[in-house]
Amino acid sequence: MKLWSPFSGGQVRIARLAPRKSSLSGLTIGVLDNGKPNAGALMHRVAELLAARTGAAGVRGWSKPSAARPAEILDDIAKGADVVLTGSAD
Amino acid sequence: MPSVVLGTEAFLSLAKATSTKHGLPHMPVALVPHPLGGISVDAARAKADGILDEVLRGLTSDPSAPIVTGTAGPTLVDAPDDLDAFQVWAMEHEWSDGLPVLPTTEARVARVLGRGAGDALVATLMPLDGRATLHAIAVNGALAGAGPEHLPVIVAALRAVAKPEFNLNAIQCTTHPCTPLVIVNGPIAARLGVAGGPNALGNGHRANAVIGRAVRLVLQNVGGARPGREDRATLGHAGKFSYCLAENEAQSPWEPLHVERGFARDESTVTVCGSEAPHNVNDHGSTAGETLMAALAGTAATTGSNNIYLAGDPLVILGPEHAQTVASSGWSKQEFKRRFWDAARVPLKKFSADNIARFKLTHPERFEGAGPETLLPFASRPDDVMVIVAGGPGKHSAIVPTFGATRSVTERIDA
Repeated sequence: MKLWSPFSGGQVRIARLAPRKSSLSGLTIGVLDNGKPNAGALMHRVAELLAARTGAAGVRGWSKPSAARPAEILDDIAKGADVVLTGSAD
Repeated sequence: MPSVVLGTEAFLSLAKATSTKHGLPHMPVALVPHPLGGISVDAARAKADGILDEVLRGLTSDPSAPIVTGTAGPTLVDAPDDLDAFQVWAMEHEWSDGLPVLPTTEARVARVLGRGAGDALVATLMPLDGRATLHAIAVNGALAGAGPEHLPVIVAALRAVAKPEFNLNAIQCTTHPCTPLVIVNGPIAARLGVAGGPNALGNGHRANAVIGRAVRLVLQNVGGARPGREDRATLGHAGKFSYCLAENEAQSPWEPLHVERGFARDESTVTVCGSEAPHNVNDHGSTAGETLMAALAGTAATTGSNNIYLAGDPLVILGPEHAQTVASSGWSKQEFKRRFWDAARVPLKKFSADNIARFKLTHPERFEGAGPETLLPFASRPDDVMVIVAGGPGKHSAIVPTFGATRSVTERIDA
């Protein structure tokens, strides 16, 4: 039998990702902690190890007050760091 | 700016769904072995070595953009004629919630839709920004067994969940067991047979069953919250099949919910809350509001509740007999809310030291300076406690906690 599909998706437009950096040397690595347990600890550790390996200038951190809400500090992060690590869910 | 998302394997599907919705299915994701929560900080930090190469690659090499085609507009598809074979097919094609569904033939959908304009957009639903057109809602209504008379209630509920303060994306994707509870007020409840009396939250009422179920199927199929994928509920609850009741306005000693929120008594509304399953309050002994409060507050004030640390507007459903007991103390609904808010508190010392440390980190405004004897309320202020009267004879009420980071929304039903 012919049936109407119950799906009604939004149309996805593929966006361009920001161009990647050729190296992290001299750059600031940002960390946006999503507030989930240990997310900040892990991401800061990854950023420190990356900085040590690549000669990055340093690490700067920001936090979302709650993982359940969108971050409102993206402009601030864009001004204060060159690349950023963030977390999704638990 | 170049970014990499870190996530655990268990939540990859959600990270992918989120980045795809924003047009970035090629966003680099570095996968960490699950879990990150409930382990020591040192154990979490030790997981950094294993993903360092992946993170560096994500920041320094450009991934190519994939080709993705979205589907637009209503689509007719071929499905098995045999009803039992159709059930298996519907599960395979992710149309169903697991219960039997009815075929969405052109004739059945047209009947549910009636004279409504099918392409009218009612809401855009998270997490996938699905387009809940009147047609798409009618298709899911037909799937759930709803009739044309139920459509205006379903539509109003979907308008309500799409309001920003409801925080639908989080409600749909969280690990917490929550789903929209649909509360119907006003004359439409009796007209459609939406039950607010005996077993109102249970089985046996077609309107409750099909309205709640149609809302759920739209959230799953149009909103795109598929269980175990974008819908990350650890356990979920039975209300995720259907969760709808009417307020028992006739047996309430107070003004009903919609009147409290500024609607006329003869208007009809739906109110949606991002709710857990009901937690029962059994009290056969108390004869006054003051004494009944111990059971009500004791059931609400528990250490496992989201509302204790995220606040929000949790719901108290008073059975009609308990409501009469409360009213016999001379309390208005506002007085009840005030006293409940005072009583339903958890002392901070009941939480583990690990949790207290986390609360102070994630919610400093509520927990900075709090000591072991600090009492944590179930909501930020008395007015945030929602109260309705529902159910039949008997000495039971229910506390319905919410996700916390969500607010209930009331919408008029245009019927």
